[in-house]
Amino acid sequence: MLANLATTPFPRMANAKPKIVADKVRMSFGRVNAIEDVTCTIGEQEFVSIIGPSGCGKSTFLYLIAGFEKSSGGTISVNGTTVTRPGPDRGVVFQEFVLFPWRTVLRNITLGLEIQKVPRREAEERARKWIRLTGLSGFEDAYPATLSGGMKQRVAIARALTYEPEVLLLDEPFGALDVQTKNYMIRDLQNLWIEANKTIVMVTHSVEEAVLMADRVLVFGARPSSIVADVRIDLPHPRTVDDRRLREYQAEVTAVLSAEVDRSMSLERAHPA
Amino acid sequence: MSADATILAPVRSRPDIRRLSLSIARPLISIGTVFLVWEVAARAGWINAFLFPPPSAIAATLWQELLSGELLQHIGRSLYRLLTGMALAVVFGTLIGIAIGMTAWGRAIFKPLISAFMPVPTLAWTPVLLLLVGINDRTTIIVVFIAAAFEVIYTVVSGIEGMSVRLFWVARSMGASRQQIFWKIILPGIMPYLITGIRLGSGYAWRALIAAEMLAASSYGLGFMIFDASEYMTMEVIYGGILLIAIFGYVIENVIVGRLEAATVEKWGVQVAR
Repeated sequence: MLANLATTPFPRMANAKPKIVADKVRMSFGRVNAIEDVTCTIGEQEFVSIIGPSGCGKSTFLYLIAGFEKSSGGTISVNGTTVTRPGPDRGVVFQEFVLFPWRTVLRNITLGLEIQKVPRREAEERARKWIRLTGLSGFEDAYPATLSGGMKQRVAIARALTYEPEVLLLDEPFGALDVQTKNYMIRDLQNLWIEANKTIVMVTHSVEEAVLMADRVLVFGARPSSIVADVRIDLPHPRTVDDRRLREYQAEVTAVLSAEVDRSMSLERAHPA
Repeated sequence: MSADATILAPVRSRPDIRRLSLSIARPLISIGTVFLVWEVAARAGWINAFLFPPPSAIAATLWQELLSGELLQHIGRSLYRLLTGMALAVVFGTLIGIAIGMTAWGRAIFKPLISAFMPVPTLAWTPVLLLLVGINDRTTIIVVFIAAAFEVIYTVVSGIEGMSVRLFWVARSMGASRQQIFWKIILPGIMPYLITGIRLGSGYAWRALIAAEMLAASSYGLGFMIFDASEYMTMEVIYGGILLIAIFGYVIENVIVGRLEAATVEKWGVQVAR
């Protein structure tokens, strides 16, 4: 047990090189202010989880990093370059999997390399590693329609990892899975995050997921949202849910989050949409 | 799903000989019974044998026409017009549909035109085309094109509207160019809908073709053959033509489109809401 602990990597340090820098980011849809003044720095190879009341704009913030949407103000830069559009340096995994139904598991996973004109043989070779690590071996030739939700999400994760983006953006990746599948996937994938060696930003609505997986949890406030808390989870990976210190972190984040949820509810009651 | 498709569907997935022979036997029995009653009634003199010549006489006439080479000319000409018109409809219909579904200018230009012209029966164009193009293959090909193109455009647009914007996001985050998005995402993404469009469009096209051939074909074509035969009151040829139209219509809609479906939608396990 002790020897095992010694070899497990500790949380990636905060003093790492900044990878993603958000500076006074604002986002409004028409007259609705979704995000107001989000400023934060995410370090190289850090695993950051974003949590907040529903509708607080946390997914929108992720889409801004991905370059799918344009902010109404402020800048986001990745590797020092301002984000203006999506690019292969940032891989994305959605809650709804978003697989290409006309492609087999293998062809879904190799698409990123195919687009980058990597020869088919080499692409398949590079895909194998992630197929194995995500536990998809034997399913290479299956079509997505025949897979369960958990398997589909594995394909989406392997697909995002295979073309080797530097940043992985996860939008509620376990949100569409049932509790058992979700717990199994999280346990199963903990080592994958370590192996992947990526900067990871994960949006979630589950405090447990956030503290279990992330090095750092950013709590977004009620709309128009900004960051109300930045909690560092100082525990080695892989973690287990029954760790006492993990439960303390969970309680801490939950307390901040409930205050925000209360605030957003009372705001909604005061100004019904 | 049409009735015959539900009979055929389990056969393809489960090659069970008993089921297969049943699925072939059932329609043959029902059609065969009609022909048998017809044959007996015509020969016994219960019905007017001039207006309703017995099926055996129709088959004999068709056989003669086949041997003379005339029949193959009629069939070949009709299929040439149909397939050429369909191919044009699929290519241009898909491109216009994608322009409408993906671009603001496409919507602005084409949507009002399509809303205005879609309800116009295809045959209403024939007199105009006759004056513009003349009595030749081009007229009938354009009629086929018009008949099928609206259906193709319509289903392609709904196909694109049915695709999640996130599919495009994933492709763009992989660094896909516009061409790559067209070939690797849009085309396969609309395929289930496009096939539905081809199925419906080929049905309309086939009907429009036969009618157009009656109005605007100088020689050859199944529609022309029937129209020509009515001048000489050769009822066997008229019925023979109707029979062939039914057979080829069935083959095009079910066998050719069915193959396309098996190779794509059914293989992928994708359901299309109709």
